[in-house]
Amino acid sequence: MMNNRTVERATLGGLLLLTLGACSLPAVILGTVFVKGLPAIDWAFLTRESRDFGAGGGIFYQTLGTLTLMIGAAAVSLPIALGATLFQTEFLDSKPIKQVLRLLMYSLNSVPTIIFGLIGYMFFGVLLQTGVSWLTGTLILAVMILPTMQMSLLEAIESLPLRYREAGRAMGLSAWQEIKSIVVPQSFFGIVTGTLLGLARAGGETAAIMFTATVFSGVRLPSSWTDPVTTLQTHILVLAQEAVNPQALTNAWGAGLVLLALVFVLILGSLALRARWPMEAER
Amino acid sequence: MRQSAKFEPVRWAAAAMAMISALCAGTLFLYLAVQSVPVFRARGWSFVTGSDWVAGEVYGALPMIYGSIMVTGLALILALPFALGSAVVTAEFLSSRSRLWVKSLMELLAGVPGIIYGLLGVSILTVLVRDSLGLIDGNTLLTAGILLAVMILPTIMTLSEDALRTVPREYRETAWSLGLTPMTTVFRVVAPRALPGVVGAVFLGLGRAMGETIAVMLVIGGLDRIPQPWYDLAAPAQSIPSKLGREAAEAMGSDLHWSALVGLSLILFLMVMGLTLAGNLFLRRIR
Repeated sequence: MMNNRTVERATLGGLLLLTLGACSLPAVILGTVFVKGLPAIDWAFLTRESRDFGAGGGIFYQTLGTLTLMIGAAAVSLPIALGATLFQTEFLDSKPIKQVLRLLMYSLNSVPTIIFGLIGYMFFGVLLQTGVSWLTGTLILAVMILPTMQMSLLEAIESLPLRYREAGRAMGLSAWQEIKSIVVPQSFFGIVTGTLLGLARAGGETAAIMFTATVFSGVRLPSSWTDPVTTLQTHILVLAQEAVNPQALTNAWGAGLVLLALVFVLILGSLALRARWPMEAER
Repeated sequence: MRQSAKFEPVRWAAAAMAMISALCAGTLFLYLAVQSVPVFRARGWSFVTGSDWVAGEVYGALPMIYGSIMVTGLALILALPFALGSAVVTAEFLSSRSRLWVKSLMELLAGVPGIIYGLLGVSILTVLVRDSLGLIDGNTLLTAGILLAVMILPTIMTLSEDALRTVPREYRETAWSLGLTPMTTVFRVVAPRALPGVVGAVFLGLGRAMGETIAVMLVIGGLDRIPQPWYDLAAPAQSIPSKLGREAAEAMGSDLHWSALVGLSLILFLMVMGLTLAGNLFLRRIR
């Protein structure tokens, strides 16, 4: 029989190796995108319009398009998520209705993103006649990130210590006063965290917008509600599939680096805030 | 909850928002059901069991269902050792500071956009797979499975780690006081208690993998055929999301083709939903 101690050490060693492998993945991915994308990046690349099927120029309007869609989506989604969350935490008494609302959110959260694209196009693009446009894309992404934001807000607001509310109620605050001066300020970090995660999710999404909101080239800023935009995600998609010119592929990596940096900054922001917010609640 | 009879605008505003959010989900499910009726009416069960798909003629979803299941299963097999290994190490052996680091890294990994994986897949992984297996084309089930494995690793790892940490500390202390080694404690005492949670984590990870579109679409090969033999992982195939992504633009509004795509979405939705519900049931058992 093998020495117990040896077996013990070998197992731990193996587990540590697996952990190391898993934890090095973000670095490997970021490193690869960095190495491949950095040669493309300079001031002109970030501030110029794309030319020659992605081989020349930059990604200025692509970046603006991504920002438009994700900020628009969060702007539409936040009031809905906040209102729906407050309804559940402040006003709703009925347990069964609460459970139904929660079940709907969990189901919506599990829907594959491409399905948001298909059905969203049918509902917004065709039924509400917004066509293939930035507005359609924004609304689709808004619905897509709704469960992300709502679950995160719910967690933040439900973790408020009961005594805060009791204090408010003892002072005879109305529901509105309680929300305005206790619930929202005290769960502010949670709300910001949820919004950052929603922004990151919307900014990284491709499948839901590729045939509903974007075109590859020939557009700058939308001048009406029903104009399409061009985005970093779909720009990379087209270049990755069809680029023959090596410079165009390098530019795809450059766009990828910008996109990855954008998403990572949002996620790191949410992580940094989340590390702070429990302390706020424990005070 | 408060009791108030007087009119409060904020109550009604909040109720309206809750209504909108519920309607979003409701409308989505309704559209999925209603718009897939034509294809089921035209093709009946052969829509699910048929293995040919020629736009405008026949619609059979079997190769796509096969592809989705294979690629998801493959991703699970590849991701599981890393996800569980790191979950055990993080939950049982790391200080709370390093634990925060690992969890943050996983959160970052979970946020990497699908299109970035697609780009990595197209220009690096397909070439690697092609050269190491001596294939003509590196766009295969295996390639898609490897990419997906990386994508679902953080989901499975984070949730499994949470499950391990719900096991009360007394179990470990008792085991140690009986003279059990740390490894025996983990695998014989802690792991069995956390098992339902880990199974739940796996189901949720599978659900995520099955719905992933963009990265899979770029590297799976896009061939609507079940490989011969069926377990040939080095063959090109097709998954449901990939099929949807490739054909949505051309099928837009054209009756039966569109309905067939929505029908595919419905099948995908039911499979993902089944996995997610199962996952949540298991997770609830440990809480």
